[in-house]
Amino acid sequence: MVEELKTVGHSTPRIDGLQRVTGRATYSADVQLPDMLYARVLRSPHPHARILGIDVARALAAPGVKAILTHENCRLVWSSGDRVNKRYLFNNPVRFVGDAVAAVAATNRHLAEEALKLIQVEYQPLDFVLDAEEALQPGAVEIHPGGNLSPIISFRTTGPGERAPSTYVRGDLEKGFAASDFVFEDRYVSKHVNNAQMEPRVALAHWEGDKLTVWTPTQGISNCHRDIARDMNLALEKVRVVCQYMGGGFGNKNQCQDSDLMAAQLAKETGRPVKLELSRKEDFVCVHGRWATSQNYKVGVLKDGTLQAIQMRGYSAMGPYRKGSGGISGVEYFRCPNVKTEVYAAYTNTAVSANFRGPPYPQGVFGIASILDDISHELKIDPVDFYLKNVTRKYRDSIPYTSSGLLECIRQGAEWFEWKKRRHPAGSQQGPIKTGIGLAAGGFGASVGRSSAVLRLDSDGRLWLHVGVTDIGTGAKTTMALIAAEAMGIDLDKVQVISGDTDRTPYSVGESGSRTTSHTGYAIVEAAKDLKQQLAASGPPQGDEVLIAEATPSPSLEGMVRYSFAVHFVEVEVDTELGGVRVLKYVAVHDSGRIINPLTAASQVQGGVIQGLGMALHEELLYDENTGIPLNPGYYGARVMTHVDVPNVEVHFVETEDAYGPFGAKAVGEPPIVPVVGALSNAVFNAIGIRIKELPITRDKIIGALS
Amino acid sequence: MKSFTNVNPENRQEVVSLLKKVIEEGKTASLAGGGSDLLGMIKDDLVAPDVVVNLKDLEGLQKIEPHSQGVRIGGLVTLQELSQHPLILSQYTVLAEAAGTVATPQIRNVGTVAGNICQRPWCWYFRQGFPCFKHGGDRCYSVVGQNQLHAIFGGGPSFIVHPSDTAPALMALEARFRIAGPDGERVVPASEFFVLPREEVSRENILGPDEVLVEIELPPARQNVKSTYVKIMDREAWTHAVLSVAAVLEIDQGVCRKARIVLGAVAPIPWHLPHVERMLVGQRITADLAGDAGRAAVSRAQPLAKNGYKIPLTEALVRRTLISLAG
Amino acid sequence: MKPISRRSFLERSGTGMAAAAAIPALEVPTFQSQPQPAEERGREVHLKVNGKDHRVKVEDHWTLVEVLRDHLGLTGTRVGCDRGECGACTVLLDGKSLYACSYLAVWADGKEISTVEGLAEGDQLDPLQEAFIEHDGPQCGFCTSGQLMSAKALLNQNPNPTEEEARQALAGNICRCSNFNRYLEAVLATSGKGSSRG
Repeated sequence: MVEELKTVGHSTPRIDGLQRVTGRATYSADVQLPDMLYARVLRSPHPHARILGIDVARALAAPGVKAILTHENCRLVWSSGDRVNKRYLFNNPVRFVGDAVAAVAATNRHLAEEALKLIQVEYQPLDFVLDAEEALQPGAVEIHPGGNLSPIISFRTTGPGERAPSTYVRGDLEKGFAASDFVFEDRYVSKHVNNAQMEPRVALAHWEGDKLTVWTPTQGISNCHRDIARDMNLALEKVRVVCQYMGGGFGNKNQCQDSDLMAAQLAKETGRPVKLELSRKEDFVCVHGRWATSQNYKVGVLKDGTLQAIQMRGYSAMGPYRKGSGGISGVEYFRCPNVKTEVYAAYTNTAVSANFRGPPYPQGVFGIASILDDISHELKIDPVDFYLKNVTRKYRDSIPYTSSGLLECIRQGAEWFEWKKRRHPAGSQQGPIKTGIGLAAGGFGASVGRSSAVLRLDSDGRLWLHVGVTDIGTGAKTTMALIAAEAMGIDLDKVQVISGDTDRTPYSVGESGSRTTSHTGYAIVEAAKDLKQQLAASGPPQGDEVLIAEATPSPSLEGMVRYSFAVHFVEVEVDTELGGVRVLKYVAVHDSGRIINPLTAASQVQGGVIQGLGMALHEELLYDENTGIPLNPGYYGARVMTHVDVPNVEVHFVETEDAYGPFGAKAVGEPPIVPVVGALSNAVFNAIGIRIKELPITRDKIIGALS
Repeated sequence: MKSFTNVNPENRQEVVSLLKKVIEEGKTASLAGGGSDLLGMIKDDLVAPDVVVNLKDLEGLQKIEPHSQGVRIGGLVTLQELSQHPLILSQYTVLAEAAGTVATPQIRNVGTVAGNICQRPWCWYFRQGFPCFKHGGDRCYSVVGQNQLHAIFGGGPSFIVHPSDTAPALMALEARFRIAGPDGERVVPASEFFVLPREEVSRENILGPDEVLVEIELPPARQNVKSTYVKIMDREAWTHAVLSVAAVLEIDQGVCRKARIVLGAVAPIPWHLPHVERMLVGQRITADLAGDAGRAAVSRAQPLAKNGYKIPLTEALVRRTLISLAG
Repeated sequence: MKPISRRSFLERSGTGMAAAAAIPALEVPTFQSQPQPAEERGREVHLKVNGKDHRVKVEDHWTLVEVLRDHLGLTGTRVGCDRGECGACTVLLDGKSLYACSYLAVWADGKEISTVEGLAEGDQLDPLQEAFIEHDGPQCGFCTSGQLMSAKALLNQNPNPTEEEARQALAGNICRCSNFNRYLEAVLATSGKGSSRG
């Protein structure tokens, strides 16, 4: 247990709750400026086609239309839209259904929409490929010159890299299999699912002279700011990004969006503010979702269940532009002397794939947790014992963790879940309605790194906290305020958080990678140390005086790895005749170090679990294979979870002490979705005795498997 | 959304003459009961009416009126009212239950029973604007495409399933539909209202472009009748049925005297199962008989490549529904 | 750990900020969002919103939500899908909840409309709003107005709903942050009942 603190660690309602429940919170779409124009985007109806000609004359002559952008008159590059290839705002050829062809600004949104219909585009359809493995077959149509195997990329990658699968090796695989008593092989498939945050994408761009202001829902005003300046060829001080309230992103609102750039360019050409609103369908088809994968595993074990060798060869469908890693992760949670993983990220003519909460994990854990569960079943080893024996002690069996509550999460969770009481052999129940239990484990990096905070203390004792966060729903504003209050030893209500505006806040890493608390929160702690020293030296500020402290720490982990861990236990009921799966009990046990705000942290865990259940049971962006057109974009089509679909989620935090981060806080946001699909897959297997190897685990697959 | 003119007629005659006038002018009109689905279709460019006829303020079609020959339900009665009306709940349970499964409270509050009966298909090819039969095209894309939700009965050349929840319930209740048109009004049994694609591929019912479904007439409630609507969905709310069963049984002293069973979401129209009903009449509904009925229900099913699971699903749901209703 | 870059300043009135790239400006212009002026064309409708009469010219194809947001400045009602698939735009019309994205403004002529802005009376929050804060209902908050209006419609009609009734009443409001159980807790707490789920 960690030592109790005064402010941090106590459940605290969000400091901006009032704005959120009164409708006063100003989201990007709520901002309206005088003489504002509305913009809409024309999208490719073809998965792959060359544009032979675009005629905008009729559209330009239509009522209210002020400007039209196409690839012919706008050559702006959207640099964060593809980290390998040059992706223009408007591309020719177009490479997926939904690729932008033109953008129109008009005096109202209806006129802009009507004008789109007047743009005449002559397309020459090209061959297309939807599946990653097919895309890599000889003879498949080349989506980019040089073939469809996309290069290895890292966080820092820009420009072409080595065209090869992303590979990790330790030990000697062949030796490992030779030393194994049993070797198991299997294949799993996961599908493209959408982030589907409630707030659709929108961008409002406004020029005052040569200064551009963009209101946009972004997960990182700092990186969005940098990207817009770079792509519009502007000095940083000539761009301001504002995002006061943000309606969720789960990874698809990192960096700047093409819509930001289109709005900025249309505003520049018309001399008027331009608001570009994307539809919900565009959000599903034209932004990005989680990459679809296929995963082939070969695992060697000893009779007692000790892992000897793990091989994984996976394929990820990235869409035609490379925004995301395409990773398939989960093997790393297990200790094993001989490991080889290879992931082939392939270009496909499907919706673009990139970050969605815990990007490489839920699908990877689905695969590895499924095959390991099958192994423990075959060897008649209780999965809890199998996990206790095999889960990671050191990162990749070599680098120590700064802290790990993983084993405790498993042990405690099994108690809280009453694992032994609920357990029965797979498929052993009689009758059409069967219950089953499963568990899975996972984690997520709780990195440390550079971020900034500015503290200003006035003579009334108010602490003005400037941080470049945009609270995307994680409760970051409240978390930052709690950390500041704790660090300064003042009451929370003395803290005023200034955030979400690049003209008023310093650099922040952005709300991605579950980093805000560890990075920006730590900067607050460091700035507070300074402020306290100033206070000690010169006393409190008087009259108009304000004491200011700024810190930009760049901590490192000194040869260690910092991780949050999560172990989830689930019991389901499967109606084998109707094919339905219902969650009866869900226990989520998390080591996220010290919890800054248990109230909002538990909300994060619940949310991640339920999103994961949606991925496991409902969601898939489904394509018509003959035309390459997605058939079910939207909440209705994706069958996104509703109030009546969700189970109770029991949340537990095992608070380990960690020497890094603010007061030892680790990552919270992404870990909750990591083990969900794996745990659910295992519970369904335990109920029906048959493994569903392709997501989502739907009625047709369950009935099909059983009949 | 494209522009159009909204008109607010006050009575049914005005609606009919308005439709006639619009057609004569070479324009198109769409009827808006609740209007939720219509606006979505206009926004998605699936229909492009010049005139939207708002039916909300129409006189006299918002009531549920019991009378000696049964119950008259105005076409503009909302799904919410229908699902909560004491008489419907107690005497025509299948209908109240069906109405209560539609979409969400917000849609049931505005959505009308006539609108639900006349709802256009929710086939994803139709809704994504593929130039299919339903849009005047020359093919059904589901045949060689994603057909997991498509018809196992009555398909061809289009394989849509009828999306309505209230329609199977009304067919099971032997309701009659009153239709207003330019030549006056006509009344047809619910079972003759819906048309298979092999008869008329571009629409789902007999309504002409100048006709309106104005009233539903239910026969008098009978003694010893139990009825229910069971809907299988791919999430627990806010979606159309993967399969539904509307069942009305008259059971006297343990023996089934009359049965009406209609399936939803398995055919381009609500799918009536007279041969199954005949198996039940005069019998005690045991688990064995219910099992036989379930098997008989699907004996003529013709699955496509990806919807074969609907066959065991239908078999099980028919069996279970009969057992629970008879038990 | 690496050395930390730190700067400290004493700011005095009138001297402004010391020059340091990482230090933000304190006074920057903020923009006032403003509703669009009424159009010249279109037909006038009378909307009584949160007890206040509005006469506004609308075109026939404008939805209720766009008139509320763009022309009356009531941006608390959100648009999440514009197709009746998400619930963010839920308002009450003559006391009944509906999707304002899927309802024409002309159809609401003469009707009473309640939006999230009308829930509080002055500074006095509705008990639902207080419970939503206390139980951490809103994560990103984008669905919150709609959740509140559905909950309000429920409690107006049924002050003591069961958990199942509350879930069904909220079924038309998606929360992709998936804080469903928190919202439910808040609604049940307002109605004087606890939740067994969540």
